Amino acid sequence: MKKKLISVLLSAALVCSVLAGCGKSDSNSGSSAAADESGAADAGSDGAAAQDTAPAEAEADTGSKDGEYDLTLYTINSTDEDFNDWLANVEGATGLKINVIAAPTDSDTRQQKITTILSTGDASVDILEINDEMSASFKNSGWLEGLNDTVMTEDIRGEFPQGYMADMITDRDGQIIGVPGYSGYLAFWVNQEIMDEVGITSLDTKEDYMKYLEAASGNGRYGYGGSWEKTYVFNEIAQFVNMFGGDYLDWTNPANKEALEFFHEMVEKGYTPIDQIADKYEQMNPKFNDGKYGSLFMWGLGTDYDKAGMLGEDKIHMAMVPQFTDRKYIFTDSWSYVLNTASEHKDAAIKFLQYMASEEGMKANYEAFDRYPARKDVAEKVVPDTDPAKEMYSRYANECVVKGRPMLPQTMEFISAMGTIFQSYMKDEITVDDFCAKAQEYVETYNK
Amino acid sequence: MISKKSLQWIAWVLILPVLIIRGFTTIYPILKTVFNSFYDIRILSGINEFAGLSNYINVFKDQKVLTTLEFTGIFVVISMFFHIILGVGLALILNMKFKGRRFLRTIVLIPWAMPAVVIGMAGKWAFNNDYGLINDFVRRFVPDFQLNWLINTGTARAAVISLDLWKDLPFFAILILSGLQFISSDIYEAAKVDGANGVKSFLYITLPLIMRNVLTLCIPFTLWRLTGFDLVYSMTSGGPGEDTSLIAYRITMEAFTNLNVGYAAALAVLLFLVMAVFSWFNMRFMSKLED
Repeated sequence: MKKKLISVLLSAALVCSVLAGCGKSDSNSGSSAAADESGAADAGSDGAAAQDTAPAEAEADTGSKDGEYDLTLYTINSTDEDFNDWLANVEGATGLKINVIAAPTDSDTRQQKITTILSTGDASVDILEINDEMSASFKNSGWLEGLNDTVMTEDIRGEFPQGYMADMITDRDGQIIGVPGYSGYLAFWVNQEIMDEVGITSLDTKEDYMKYLEAASGNGRYGYGGSWEKTYVFNEIAQFVNMFGGDYLDWTNPANKEALEFFHEMVEKGYTPIDQIADKYEQMNPKFNDGKYGSLFMWGLGTDYDKAGMLGEDKIHMAMVPQFTDRKYIFTDSWSYVLNTASEHKDAAIKFLQYMASEEGMKANYEAFDRYPARKDVAEKVVPDTDPAKEMYSRYANECVVKGRPMLPQTMEFISAMGTIFQSYMKDEITVDDFCAKAQEYVETYNK
Repeated sequence: MISKKSLQWIAWVLILPVLIIRGFTTIYPILKTVFNSFYDIRILSGINEFAGLSNYINVFKDQKVLTTLEFTGIFVVISMFFHIILGVGLALILNMKFKGRRFLRTIVLIPWAMPAVVIGMAGKWAFNNDYGLINDFVRRFVPDFQLNWLINTGTARAAVISLDLWKDLPFFAILILSGLQFISSDIYEAAKVDGANGVKSFLYITLPLIMRNVLTLCIPFTLWRLTGFDLVYSMTSGGPGEDTSLIAYRITMEAFTNLNVGYAAALAVLLFLVMAVFSWFNMRFMSKLED
């Protein structure tokens, strides 16, 4: 009898809890949405959303916030300490209430998430920030809205870097699919302390540079440093191919082979370490700060060097790219704001993008995130002459052939494949001819 | 009088929610993956065509996958070999009576409790030639020691396997320990009276009595190795080249980075089959052992 009674009670409890569980989602949807909102506010304000797990939660939240926000922004900047000021500025200027979702900090995870959002027609995100790799992959996919008539109108289009716009963010129909959030260069950085120590004052030509490499290398120090992890080394290979006058997408070009042999020679002669095959930027930069490298190519304005107290004219600073052939070459990059085709808030999204493309929007980005304005007219006005980047960026723009990086639709696969064979060549597992043959094969395979 | 049979529908109604959830979260994805594996689906190129068995055929022509399969095999075999040898050894140590035994049993589990991604990221630094704690430790004895573990195939693979062991070995050992604790001390005392030394006691008493436990544990631990992804993802990104790429990592890259969904599905189906065959063999072996 006792057993029966207990089993009846337990069954009743089970049924009640099931029914209560079923009913709760409907009856309490209001409070659930409120809870979601506070969750998202936390994610945007305290920077914790930079964790890979946070965006997933935040993404789940967005559905229930429809109607409360004018648009949803998927951003890489939410962990910046000035992000909230930037957001307040943008919301004040546009009159939009913006829901923020933090993109994962890990590049692979970020790309996977963004690809999933766009490819599945997920309308919960309106505006996303994407890098060049993603631009190259997505620009002809139909996932991104063309902006020629609404945002990137003819009156302002000419102020953005033209080569970059054409190479990276214009689709096959001539539609510009993004607003560059800033203008960055794969700048050439040198350690002035090492230059002074070895008595070299200029690195204008290949001969100058070779002398510097030789003089700066030895005793655990190297004239050149890089990050040769298979998905990172692409930038450096393409940069040197340009410097030798080659074409990254044509590996029958003898100049490409020459560039590759130059890398190999640097390793052989001890001018650069083979160890950097495992390095990404987070390993390379501390080594540069520690005086282990005499020079390197790196994006950005030197924040990592500044934090280490190593940024300055007498320490680590940007320099003009050495000229190996008839011209000097440099790459530019950006993260662009793009509009999801599936967005249900296109009017608000366009308003946001118009602000981002405006002088005020670029200024807000520069002041909050130290991002050099993509528009040259804005850069002239907004960036003070005391900013050390201004002079060098201006020289890069005027003295170098500025290019967008050579990317193919299957970008990440191509980058990874090229990085893999580069590592093999540097470790003498394949010859330079093998490298060139395989590289050409990859160009043809991934350019479909 | 209501018959039991006529009440069966209530049971079905009660388990229906679970069946529906299972159907959507397990059965449907499996069937969809098998379906996709016969299609050439490349999202970035906008291709979605029936491809028959070509995805499966390409698997065995793709150098990246062949290298991945090679390392997956090495990883599973070596890691499981050392899990068993060192795991049993550690369990024996933890079963001994000494001061601080409880404390040791607790702290050995710390690596297992840490997320694999965190361990992988820490491992990337730990094995760095300039800043890593491994080389720092070695240099205390060999001052000129220079080795960047993650740039050569052999050392990078060794680093990944050793980190995997460091993380999961204690958990394996603790589970073996639970088996050891069921062996009555009377048996050892009787063996001692009969003249058996420590080695003989281990070989003829301990080992046979924990063998079933070890084999049972080998099933999930091997399957976890086969589906291991996070350690490699955060530590080496499969490098140098593809030399430390595991099959689950390759599937993730193909599916979510390269967006070759059909090809990734074919790889996933093959992995599923390998796991099913392995589990079947293991269960057969165990039932034979029981007989």
